[in-house]
Amino acid sequence: MIVCVAVVGHQNNPLYIQSFTEADDALKLHHIVHCSLDVVDERVNNPKKSGPTLNETFLGLLYPTENYKVYGYLTNTKVKFILVTTDLDVRDADVRNFFRRFHAAYVDAVSNPFHVPGKKITSRTFAERVSTIVKSFGLSSAG
Amino acid sequence: MDPANTPLGKMLLDEITPVVMVLSTPLVEEASLKNHLSFVQMLSPFCSFNNIDVPVRTASDQPYRLQKFKLRLFSASDIRQPNLEVAKERLKHFISQAGDKDDMFSDPPQISNLLASSESEIQPSWFQFFNKELVRTVSFSEHEAFDHPVACLLVVSSKDEQPINRFIDLFNTDKLPSLLNDGAMDPKILKHYLLVHDNQDGSPEKAAKILTEMKSTFGSNECQLLCINSSHDGPVERQDNPWAPYESDVSPSQCVGCFLNIDDSNEIKDLMQDLSSKHVIPYMEQKIRFLNQQVSATRKGFRNQIKNLWWRKGKEDAVDSPDGPMYTFSSIESQIRVLGDYAFMLRDYELALSNYRLISTDYKLDKAWKRYAGVQEMMGLTFFMLDQSRKEAEYCMENAFNTYLKIGSLSQQNATRCGLWWVEMLKTRDQYKEAAVVYFRLCSEEPLHSAVFLEQASYCYLLSKPPMLRKFGFHLVLSGDRYKKCDQIKHAIRTYRTSVSVFEGIMWGHIKDNVHFRIGQWYGILGMDDLAVKHMLEVLACSHQPKTTQELFLRDFLQIVQKTGKTFEVLKLQLPQVNISSLKVVFEDHRTYASPAAATVRESLWQSLEEDIIPPLSNIRTNWLDLQSNSKKYKESNVCVAGEAVKVDIEFKNPLQIPISISGVSLICELSAGSDDASSSTVELQNDDDFKNLITNRDMSSDNVSFTLSEVDVLLGGAETTVVQLTVTPKVEGVLQITGVRWKLSSSVVGFHNFESNHMKKKNAKGRRKSKYSRSDNLKFIVIMSLPKLEGFIHSVPEKLYAGDLQRLVLELRNQSEFAVKNLKMKVSHPRFLNIGNQKNLNSEFPACLERKTSSDPSCVGDSSSSLSQNVFLFPEDTLIQEGTPLLWPVWLWAAIPGDINLYITVYYEMADISSGMRFRTLRMHYNLQVVPSLDLSFQISPSPSRLHEFLVRMDVVNKTSSESFQVHQLSSVGHQWEISLLQPVHTIFPSQSLMAGQSLSCFFMLKSSRKSLTSKDKISTLSPVLGSDVGLGPEDSNQPLFDVSSSPLADFHHYERLHQEMSPQGDPNAVDFVLISRLLTSGDSETPHLFSHHACHCSTSNASPISWQVDGPQTLYHDLSASLCEINFRMIIYNSSDAVASVHVKTFDSVNTGGHLSEGTSSPSGNQSGWHWHDASVEKDIKVTSDVIGARVRKSLSLESVTPFVWSGTSSTSIQIQPMSKTEIPLQICVFSAGIYDLSNYVLQWNLLSSEGPESLEGTRQSSGTCQGYPYYLSVLQSS
Amino acid sequence: MGREVSESCVDSLLTEMVSSYCDRFYANKPDLAARRIEAIGFQVGLQLSERYTMERPRFSDHLEAIKFICKDFWSELFKKQIDNLKTNHRGTFVLQDNRFRWLARMSVDPSPENGDLSQDNPPAENKAAQATSMHLYFPCGIIRGALSNLGIPCAVTADISNLPACSFVVRIKA
Repeated sequence: MIVCVAVVGHQNNPLYIQSFTEADDALKLHHIVHCSLDVVDERVNNPKKSGPTLNETFLGLLYPTENYKVYGYLTNTKVKFILVTTDLDVRDADVRNFFRRFHAAYVDAVSNPFHVPGKKITSRTFAERVSTIVKSFGLSSAG
Repeated sequence: MDPANTPLGKMLLDEITPVVMVLSTPLVEEASLKNHLSFVQMLSPFCSFNNIDVPVRTASDQPYRLQKFKLRLFSASDIRQPNLEVAKERLKHFISQAGDKDDMFSDPPQISNLLASSESEIQPSWFQFFNKELVRTVSFSEHEAFDHPVACLLVVSSKDEQPINRFIDLFNTDKLPSLLNDGAMDPKILKHYLLVHDNQDGSPEKAAKILTEMKSTFGSNECQLLCINSSHDGPVERQDNPWAPYESDVSPSQCVGCFLNIDDSNEIKDLMQDLSSKHVIPYMEQKIRFLNQQVSATRKGFRNQIKNLWWRKGKEDAVDSPDGPMYTFSSIESQIRVLGDYAFMLRDYELALSNYRLISTDYKLDKAWKRYAGVQEMMGLTFFMLDQSRKEAEYCMENAFNTYLKIGSLSQQNATRCGLWWVEMLKTRDQYKEAAVVYFRLCSEEPLHSAVFLEQASYCYLLSKPPMLRKFGFHLVLSGDRYKKCDQIKHAIRTYRTSVSVFEGIMWGHIKDNVHFRIGQWYGILGMDDLAVKHMLEVLACSHQPKTTQELFLRDFLQIVQKTGKTFEVLKLQLPQVNISSLKVVFEDHRTYASPAAATVRESLWQSLEEDIIPPLSNIRTNWLDLQSNSKKYKESNVCVAGEAVKVDIEFKNPLQIPISISGVSLICELSAGSDDASSSTVELQNDDDFKNLITNRDMSSDNVSFTLSEVDVLLGGAETTVVQLTVTPKVEGVLQITGVRWKLSSSVVGFHNFESNHMKKKNAKGRRKSKYSRSDNLKFIVIMSLPKLEGFIHSVPEKLYAGDLQRLVLELRNQSEFAVKNLKMKVSHPRFLNIGNQKNLNSEFPACLERKTSSDPSCVGDSSSSLSQNVFLFPEDTLIQEGTPLLWPVWLWAAIPGDINLYITVYYEMADISSGMRFRTLRMHYNLQVVPSLDLSFQISPSPSRLHEFLVRMDVVNKTSSESFQVHQLSSVGHQWEISLLQPVHTIFPSQSLMAGQSLSCFFMLKSSRKSLTSKDKISTLSPVLGSDVGLGPEDSNQPLFDVSSSPLADFHHYERLHQEMSPQGDPNAVDFVLISRLLTSGDSETPHLFSHHACHCSTSNASPISWQVDGPQTLYHDLSASLCEINFRMIIYNSSDAVASVHVKTFDSVNTGGHLSEGTSSPSGNQSGWHWHDASVEKDIKVTSDVIGARVRKSLSLESVTPFVWSGTSSTSIQIQPMSKTEIPLQICVFSAGIYDLSNYVLQWNLLSSEGPESLEGTRQSSGTCQGYPYYLSVLQSS
Repeated sequence: MGREVSESCVDSLLTEMVSSYCDRFYANKPDLAARRIEAIGFQVGLQLSERYTMERPRFSDHLEAIKFICKDFWSELFKKQIDNLKTNHRGTFVLQDNRFRWLARMSVDPSPENGDLSQDNPPAENKAAQATSMHLYFPCGIIRGALSNLGIPCAVTADISNLPACSFVVRIKA
């Protein structure tokens, strides 16, 4: 299942971070997301690692922590999406699909004229949309 | 670079070297212990050689020379697997020691210079030692041969009796370490015999004798003599003591190796050199050859390969114990391993590698995993030392590592060692990131070790190119948590503090707060409270955190603070937040305020109110500023008066969702008495938080003689914002500077905030309230000597009252100081509402004093009008307000109109003694009244058709209140030219004497105009004295006196009311004012009766149609109709009330119905006067209302069906011209043929105004032409007998 | 999915915005008005670029980003691409739209002699030119917003030498 999703601005400032666990490990997840930024930077700065998928928005598996898998997605506008999941066999397609929908949701959220660019996303509709996406991710990967 | 010189290389050349087992007799130890050294320790420093330069041949006869070489000496007792628990204990102890070393107070390193500095500088030095210790915990395992002793050094003292036998039984198996006994290694090893002679026991002859004996027994070149302790003259002092490392475990008093002089050490050196070069190395070399032949015999060559393979397959289904089958030293596998290790130790890495390769496959096939892993490990190291194919090397290390882990906890230590070597390998190749990962994988269930590993991992991330700071921080935090778990708090703090530098200034509040909070907590545990508080403060204002977290933070913070017992003083404490922009200063120089409400009123408003009562600004300056020495600087600073409080409003905001209690909020002030340079001030306040400084300051303020501060306590609810008013009262003259505000958070932490720091912001904020002269600094006050200050208030001002309510209130002015004040003036913003009475109606009875006097007393009217002249009220010259004798003065309050009324009153007064700092001051009062509607009064006036200069006044009164009921008392018309009178007795108008809530009433009065000709001029001029005519409307039985509307205050109020209701610039000539006076019917006449007066001004008397007429003639007459028809003459008098010439045209009709039909088109000039005809017919006779005619006549015409009509004889139509304001009359005549009652209403009167000059003035008030239906006029003709 | 707006609406909205800022809010402070309008454009560009760069690989260099502006971004906005892109390879790009929609309805006499605004012009034409340039701050802001959101800080100016052609000059801040 997806444990945590996050949107990180182009100055590596958290725009939105939401954990989907009952356990009180918000801090840990914050740390994990925060660390994953290092990997994102790495991937972006020396793209030879990413090889064929040059400059693709989807960064793939960033790094496996002890029992999480962290996936990353970097938009053209240097906004990072981070996905932390616990299930160990995730189909790439699922993750890509997830990120695409997540990105769409994000775009709609920030296109709101009342949203101040670079500030935290507080829109409730966005939160709801994200949670539905997360749920559906669980289903699709199960099926 | 040469791998041998890399850290790992050095480590290997250190650790993987031939082991020499030392067996010594107690006497030997005893001898060496004189130097506080064990025998092994004594020898060890001389066991490593940097250029021993020994020629060696490889198995394949390649000659090469060994330069670096080292022997590892162990006494037999130490040659065994070290006890894990002991090792752990030692490490733990060691770590905590290291923790105590590093200081907790230095500032955490900045990330920038962390990046700048190299690995060795960043990392704590003890990491290396720690790793080494960990590596050593797995030495002497039987599955790897490089720890197996290569040679054995048998040592016997010359004091032993039968040293030869001693030699023999030294090496008997039961004393030997298990390695040799359980067949893990070959018990037949190289033996070397050493005889130790202690020179302090006399000359070495005996020893020499024994030596020869030994030589004969054990062979000549296997035996040697070593003489020690040969320094006879006391302890030897030597620089660079080779035994320095061992000093740690002896008390510093006795120096190590004190009896060993230079000869001894040389001797030892030679001994070891000889041992290694002449014995150990050649022995190993030859053993390598031997083993190599063995191996190639059994394993090299294709046949052997196959055989071996097949044989292994055969062994496939053998029992596989966790570490595979048991291999004795004789087994080919162990021999290969030994061969490999020996080759490794002699730097013949190719040979070593080939053998390792060979054996690893075997072990793999045999599933001897531990051995397999061990071999893989060695392969990796060999690759490294060969400096070829990094991939291979790393692969091998990883493989070994995983294999060890796979085996399970038994070989956890091996895994650790392997990992450490692997890490070193990666570091050597600058693959810090990978190294970090390996460190991470090293973390076991052993938390302490994991902590250290994580910390090392973090530094790897820091060192990796490019540095991965976030991971650096994260791993520091992880390791910190681990440290905390095994309460190595100091280490925990160290790691966290380092991580702070990473998380500084990022927006991940959740992380940052946690770090600071933990550090604070832990410092608290260590009792280093200042630091704890310092860090806790960082997280106090965590509005972004969930409520529970906020509670936690605050609670712990307070706990720590309370634990310390002392109160902390914190500059810019974030709890609560001080909203500087809300800063608002209220001070009183010459402007004083009666109430806080008054102080909040816009300054400009007061100024406009005061402008004509205070002397112009310039001479204020000259008056009181010149008393002070240099008036230049005073211009830009405020002035306040000693003994009078300066009030400061400031806003506190609680950022948290939990309530916080703040106590002792007060200002921080400096008052420099006398001269005004701040340097000589009582307290100098820096912006840094220097504690003592502030504490002294606090004490100062508490018992300060020069000023007093108010203290306020607030409880701020969650996310609440409150405005606190603080005051400082200077007591002496000088310069008062308000520098900041202080408060106490839950009575433990004192926070304070300096206003100066954000000077600019505050200035903008205060710009609003700035008064006349602009100031650069709003918080600096010139304190001048104390002055009289009036306090004033009006007693019992109602908040809520009904419109029209007239009340007499008392204004009280007190003067606290001993100086008197004089020249009082007073001005009111709304004279329409508030009016200054005069002294005499203070003591007279309230409603009574308004009643009409028999002789209206001119003085009262007089001075009231004089005070009105310019609406500044001058108190009599002689009024002097002394201390303790308040001045009472009556004021009249009248609620003119409904609504929310702000009354501004300002009182100007001057000091009796000119010497004082100011000449005058003003007292500003502000009251707010809410006036609710009571009676709604409206008048309609229409000229009476029958009488000229008489008007019918219709008064509509509606009681708008919800509950109150009023009793109408009197109606007065103002102005001497009007006279109002009742039409019918009062009780008919008011069946019930009172007007209930919501009830409405309309009634009619007669208004007479008692002037002959009128021009607008004299109308205006005849304003005062306003005399009027009144009609009492009270119940007749109680003949209450009428009130005098022509005297103050009613007259005054009426005056303002007139001014206010003025519609057209020049008064309408025929306008009339009415005053309705009523009282509130209060159940039980408890308090003073409320008196209401409602004023309706400028009610126009001019009718819509300027033409009025009246038919004059006989009402009844007798006539003998049988004799002749009867002719009757009438005359019609027509009055033109307009100021234009009117042409009038009168038509008569002979038939009723035509008149009826005609009456349709008639414009009924003055509209809705229905309801009038309720009143009895008598009225109907003499006054006709036009529109009523139709109704009336219809009624009549029905009743008069039978009557034969009359005919208009005489002219059937007449037209005439009428001059303005004049009347004419025309004759009319009818013929009647039979007796009866006739209604002569069937005529119309058409008029239009010719040459109406100034039509615009007439616009709207009347139309310029019209048609009027005739009035009914009843004529009854009777048959005369 | 993509909701659409009638072009006339957008046109009149733009005109209304410009007029209200120039004539009402900041009358007689034209530069201030210009800045405000440009700022509005900036945010619009920011958000539009966020949307239009979905589903496309990241740009490796500035030129790619500029090309994106010229091709896809422009056609999303105006149903046409930039007609001509020039660059001096030192951070200055000139994007020319031969018939810029938002000026198409602008009744400025496109005669050549009022092309160079610096030359002697009767004030009337000058005025007209000013009014026109007011309408150009919005698209300038859009371009700047889009680019800076793509991590390219720059300054954008517009040049209407020969209407209705309009060329936007992008100077990338090194």
